[in-house]
Order: sequence, then structure tokens, then C-alpha cells
Amino acid sequence: MNPVNDTIRFENVSKFYGEVLGVNRVTLTMSPGITTLVGPNGSGKTTLMNLMTGLVQPSRGTISVLGLEPRNATEFFCNLGYCAQFDSFPRGLTGFQFVLDSLMLFGMSEEDAHHLTAEALERVQLDVDAAQRKIAGYSKGMRQKIRLAQAIAHHPRVLVLDEPLNGLDPMARAESLALFQELGRQGMHVVISSHILDEVDRIADRVVLITGGYLIAQGNIHEVRREVRDKPMQVLIRCDSPELLASKMFAVNHCVEARLHADGHGVFVRTADIDQFYRLLNDIAVEGLVRIEAVAPADDNTNAIYQYLIGSDGSAA
Amino acid sequence: MSVFLHEYRPYSGRTTPLWTRPLVLARYGLAEVWSSKITVGLFVLSLLPCVVELVMIYLADNPVARLLILRGNPVLTINETFFLNVLETQCWFALVIASWIAPRLVSFDLGDSALPILLSHPISRFGYLLGKFIALAVSLSYVTWIPCLVLFVYQSYASPQPWMLTHLPLGLGIFAGAVLWIALLSLTGLAVSSWVKWRVIATGAIFAVVFVPAGVGGIANAILRTKWGLLLNVPVVMTEIWQRLLGAPAFMNPRLELPNFAMAAVLALASLMCVAVLNARIRAREVVRG
Amino acid sequence: MGVIQLDRLEVRLGGRTVLNGLTGELRGHAVGLLGPNGAGKSTLINTLLGFHEPAGGSARVLGLDVHDDRMRIRQSVGYMPENDSFIGNMSGVRFVRYMAELAGLPAEEALERAHEALFYVGLGEVRYRKIKTYSLGMKQLIKLAQGLAHGPKLLILDEPTNGLDPTARQRMIQLIKDIRKHGGTHLLISSHLLRDIDETCDEVLILNKGRIAAISNIEEERRSHRNFIELEMAGNTECFVVKMRSLGCECACFAGGRVKLVMPDVLSARDLYVTAAEFGVQIRRIQQRRDSLEDIFLRAMEYEGGRVDHVSLPA
Repeated sequence: MNPVNDTIRFENVSKFYGEVLGVNRVTLTMSPGITTLVGPNGSGKTTLMNLMTGLVQPSRGTISVLGLEPRNATEFFCNLGYCAQFDSFPRGLTGFQFVLDSLMLFGMSEEDAHHLTAEALERVQLDVDAAQRKIAGYSKGMRQKIRLAQAIAHHPRVLVLDEPLNGLDPMARAESLALFQELGRQGMHVVISSHILDEVDRIADRVVLITGGYLIAQGNIHEVRREVRDKPMQVLIRCDSPELLASKMFAVNHCVEARLHADGHGVFVRTADIDQFYRLLNDIAVEGLVRIEAVAPADDNTNAIYQYLIGSDGSAA
Repeated sequence: MSVFLHEYRPYSGRTTPLWTRPLVLARYGLAEVWSSKITVGLFVLSLLPCVVELVMIYLADNPVARLLILRGNPVLTINETFFLNVLETQCWFALVIASWIAPRLVSFDLGDSALPILLSHPISRFGYLLGKFIALAVSLSYVTWIPCLVLFVYQSYASPQPWMLTHLPLGLGIFAGAVLWIALLSLTGLAVSSWVKWRVIATGAIFAVVFVPAGVGGIANAILRTKWGLLLNVPVVMTEIWQRLLGAPAFMNPRLELPNFAMAAVLALASLMCVAVLNARIRAREVVRG
Repeated sequence: MGVIQLDRLEVRLGGRTVLNGLTGELRGHAVGLLGPNGAGKSTLINTLLGFHEPAGGSARVLGLDVHDDRMRIRQSVGYMPENDSFIGNMSGVRFVRYMAELAGLPAEEALERAHEALFYVGLGEVRYRKIKTYSLGMKQLIKLAQGLAHGPKLLILDEPTNGLDPTARQRMIQLIKDIRKHGGTHLLISSHLLRDIDETCDEVLILNKGRIAAISNIEEERRSHRNFIELEMAGNTECFVVKMRSLGCECACFAGGRVKLVMPDVLSARDLYVTAAEFGVQIRRIQQRRDSLEDIFLRAMEYEGGRVDHVSLPA
């Protein structure tokens, strides 16, 4: 397959709403799989998603989604599914009708639309009976599911999801994440924007960080983490004598910082060379003077990257 | 100790008695209502007739001034009919003010669904409405029975003959009539405001609720050739009631006179409808059926 | 005496029985309220606040009956609803002051406490602006501030981190933990985010289809199950697993170098490292898998016949 047609590409894209900045000079390439879009509220995530789905035209720059542009509207929108954050629906429709009507807009026969609607509802695990009720009576979680159903019903190749887990109970969250994982495996582009970073970490291949309208980082989570060089990797080790472990760690010169855990049973170690660190830890453990209970990378996740790059005031660090 | 930690501390001071909570609502409601310049403007406007009436009372009781200003032209006497007109004027101004104020009291709370938070405090739905009612009633009192009674007192002061003792029932009638109208108007105002979402439309709706039934009643009268349609005619009904309370001579065609109990029943019915609307709309939570 | 006591509580809404015979006692300092959508969480909260009348049974909050002592309960309870709930036309200070006065504080104290509460949650100059101009995070904080201003004994939070970005969410969680630490105020937190509940609560009440699926003390659960271990490794995991099995462990391998094993009592973590050194594999993560909240929750759902096809959370 032509590699160009397999990606979503932003070339120097800027979007302004009058004077107000949406995004500024964003250059981005997304391959198939699951990409997480992360950033504070008002950072430009929704703008980016609107640009991707063709709802809004860039002020400058070009966007191509799978080689298509919003200008060839029919083909473009057939390949896109968008599950927006906002909770409004046409009045008086039942869930089934809503998805059915959206499908009919693609020009397919009513029979096909029926099949696809039923399939979509099954995939999001929404009861057939519930689907026959009016959306006005739905709970928050059900509305979320019906929006999702509408987005995936026509088997798009690109799926853009804005806070898709909002309002879902823990089981529905797990099911939705499993669904997204499945879709990503099938070669779809799945772009998920979420604030619950540890959840999307489990399934995402790539992360895109944006704040204040500027792109801060993009790529595989671990690679991005490694590139944040001024913050060496941090590992938490729980053991029975953390001071002893820390002193042994300091004896080698790639360990830059050791901090005792507040409860006294662990130590956070920052190291410039993670591979050597693990080897060293292995030796210490075999030596037997320190009894190790648990080891965990403390900051090799999106949450840590967020903190380091975006920080607590929402501006780029 | 030089570093002060401001941490969360529980409250252990005194609390105000439970029955005063509606007054808190009333206080804040009044502050909200009177912060608007339009309210002040309407208020001033509605007191202008009273100034005119004050002058008229002065002239009626002062022969010298009468000669100077009116040059011997006949002037009206200050009697029940005079006060009936005063009361009527003020009460219709009260309608205008109520239709402006009532939405301001209620729709700000409903607009952003503040009711769940409000009612999670130690105040019942009844207490909530009582507070709003008090705020409305106080505001309306300023333009109805207070100015009317001031005129009444002035008249008894200015009058050459001993006036007050003989006309005490008149004074009481003014008070009762105004209070009745205030109660009705407040209930209607609150009910309509809680029903209609937008403030401007609520204002219009309050007027509509007062005047539209009159038209319906008129149609019913014409078609059925009866006088009972007049019961829906709020202006007529109220004027009748005030006239009877004040002891003024009847002005209506005797054929069209309405019995007391019928009017009382209509007013009671209207009040019940308002209470039903308020009961349905002022809730902490919507109950979705099915 | 428990913070919340339920005795065969039954609540009917619109002809349907939403809460069906809830019985239990919650003693924890911070109680989490969990359950699938439609389980009755909001109805339970509304009943505790006195908005719904019990059709049968009873419920007590802080020892007071939910039906008879409604006003006294509301006096000692602060409520932070899930949805937008404010008076847009008022400034932040005025709103919090209004709520404090409604809760019974005299006017001067109300003003003081309002400012204290606003300072505590971190709303600075913003408090003088009208609430309708606030961002989502600020609206959540103002709801919390009005719940705190009158110093309640029980704070009920419904989805407190709803819609907040990661930084604001962390701040909210930290605030909740601080409030809990001071001992004077109990918390009841309803949320769909298991991680939030895990971090802040010590007891959970799980509802399903109007019944109690589980009441669980998280602290106690954490102290058990020491021998289930999860590893993340780099290198030749095959040989490692074979060797561990020969030592008496039950092992299971997953993608990404993950291994789950159950160790017999005679072995310890050191033996894992010895084996790792033997085969030159790197152990990147060791985690003692205790019954996390997710397991408690899934177990509760299964017992109630929630879902037959077991949902496995991504490992």
C-alpha cells in the first residue's frame, strides 16, 4: 500500500478564529493504530480534531487524511468517523433511528443501513430495547455509547474520538478500550483525546501532546520519555532497607538522584542509564543484603510526560 | 510561630434558627431585584400618580388653594370612589413591576439548575418559595398599600372634619384589597417564571395570564349569552372585589353583578393552579418516567 | 456508629423500584460509591439528602433519619453535584456566601468562611467574577467551595473530577485527600474512575441494579494476597519461566514480556533475581498483585450476574 495514503498528515497547519488562536504551525504525521491526543482544556485538541475531520478549514497549511482532502467531500467523509464531546442530539429520535439516519446520509440502501446499525449497536454493547427508546431518556453513559455507535457504524478508516469514556462506568470503560484496541489492530487510525491518561496509556501506541495551540511532543510514549533528557528516568523500588539500597546505588556514578518514599519502605531512583541500572539492581538483589519487594518505573508513562512537558500551569515547560 | 498554615477547619460557631432561612432567600432576592436600574425606574414611575393624587387631596381640602389655582372650578371629593381609583392605578402598576421582578427572582436559579445545590441546604421547597414570595410581596407593597395608606393618612390629616374614624373601614379595605392582589400576583408571577425558561418571555407571559382569560371570558359571554364569562376577566373581578372591600358604590350594570362566592372560588382555583405548577417545576431532581 | 446506615432501604421513582432493600453500614472515613450506570447511585445520594422519600425501610446519615431529620442532615452535609449547578449571575464569593448563610451561618461569619473556602480550593481573583464566565475547572471548584464553607461533617461528591484536565484532576484529588486527612469531615465520593476512588477512599460501596453488590474495606484487602506477583521483563523470558516453574511456581506469560506468577511461600523476590541473573534477563518491574479495586469491582459484578462473559481489563 502506498505509504502516503496510509497516514494522516498535517503540514504547517495554523487555525485562527479571528484573533483567537486555535493551533499554530502544527506539523504532524499519524500512522495506523491508536494515537492519544493529550493536553489541558483549551489547548487546541478540539481544533485539531475538527481540522482532521474536515469540519473546519485551516487558516494556513494543508491537511491530508489518507491522501484525501476535505474538498472531495464524499470520499473524505465516508472514511471518517467522529465521536464528539458535546452532548446534543436531534430531538425526538430513538437511538436506533439516530444511527440509522446517520448511515442513510452515506447513500446506502435502508436494508444495508439496518444491518450496519444493528452491528454497531452490538459492538458498543447497547441493548436492542434501549436503542428503541428515545435518546432524551438516556443516561449519560448510554448517550456516549450511541455517539460511539454512530461514529463506527459505517466502518470508517479513521476514527476520531473526543473524550469517549466520559460518563461510562468501569466495565463499559474497559469494554470500550478493548473495542478501540481491536479497531487499532485492524489497521484503523484511532485518535483518542482523553484526560484519563493511565487508561489510554494501556492501549495507545503513540501520544501527541499539545498545549496553548502548539505541538509539544509526538511519538511512542517510551521514546518521547527518553527524549526528555533533563529529567532522567525514575524507578521506584520497594524494599526493606531503602537507605542501604540508595547508598549502594550512589556508589555507581550513573545514579543521579535517590529519594526515599514517604512511607519509608521505598526509594525513588533517577538514573541516566536505565539498562545498566537494572543489571545493577539484579546484582544487589542476588547479593541478598536488601530484600526487594517491588520494582516499578515511576515515570515512563503519559502522565509523567505531561507533568514534565506541560507542567501544572498548562503552559509549555 | 511565624509560619501560618491555613488548612481546612470545621465550623463550630452558632447557627441561625431554621425558620430564618427563607428570610436569607428573601434578602438575596431583594438585593438581586433592586440592583437593576429598570426596577428603580419602574418604581419611581409608579409613584408618580400618588404625587398627583396627593396634590388633588391637598386641593380638595384647601379652599384657599382651590380658589387660587382652580379659580372656582369644581373639584372632586375625596371619597371611596377616589380611593378605589387610587388603589386600582397602583395595583396595575404593581402588575407591571411584578412581571419584571418575578422572572428575575426565579429564572436565575433555574437557568443553571442551581436548585439541587440550593435544596441540599436546610431549606425545603416551601421555604424556598416562601423566601421568593416575601421578596416579591415586599417589593410590591412599596407600590400598593403603602402609598395608598399614606394618602389615606394625609387625607385624614388635611381634612377639616374628623375623617379617619368614620372612614376606618375604607383604610382596612384598601389594605385587604392590596394584600389580596399582592398574594395573587406573587403566586402567578412565581408560577409563570418557573414554567417559562426565558426571562423576557416570562414577563410577557405574566401579562398574558392576566389579560388573555378576559378575552376568552368575553367570547364565552357573547356566545352563551351569560354573565359568568366575566369571572375570567381579571380586571373586572378585581375591581368588583376592591369596590366591595372599600365600600364604594357599584359601578357595574346590576345585571352583570357577580356573587362573592363565585369570585372567591375563581381566585382560589387560580391560586391552586399556580401552586400545582410550582410543585411540578421547583424540584431538586427531575423524575423521568418509564 | 457508622456514617451511613441503611436498613432495607427501598426507593421508588416513577413507578419503578430503583433501590431495592439496601442494608449495610458504612464506617469508613472516605467511602467510595461505585456501580454501573443505572445502578441507583444518584438515587441513593438523593435519598440521603432527603430529596426522595423511602418507600420502605430506613436510612440514617450521621445517626439522623433521612426522612424525619431531613433538615438537620442537610445542616451537616455538603453536596457537590455532578452537573452544572450554580447561579450564573452571581460572583463566586456571593454565591458561596449565599450558600453558607442558607446553611445557617450568620452573615459576617458567612463572608469570612466563604473567603476561607475559596482560598482553600485555590480560587484567587477569579472569585470576584460572575460564575457564568468561569471555566469548567473553576466551576467544579466553586461547587466544592460552597460544599465546604459551612464546615459539614459529611461531604458528598458526585464525580468530582468530571471533565478536568490531568493537572486539575490531580489538584482535586489532592484537595480531597487533604480534607480527609483533617479527620473532621467524612466523605462520600461517587465516581466511575476506579483509580480516583482507590487513591482517596478506604471503603467502597458497590451498587448494582438497585442492590448492594459489595461493601468492601480497601485497606484490609490491600494487606492480603502477598504471593501473587506480576513481572515485566526484557530478554529471554522462556527460560526464566521454565526455571521458575521447576522451582514450584505457577506461571503465565503475556505479550510485552509480562509474566504473572504465584510463588510458594518458600520462595522470595530474591530467587527471581537469582534466576534472572542466571539467564541474563532484565527484570524491569515487580508488582505484588493485591486485590485491587478493579478485581473487587469485577467480582462484585459477577456475583450479581452482571455479565457472564468475563471482561478482562487490558493487562
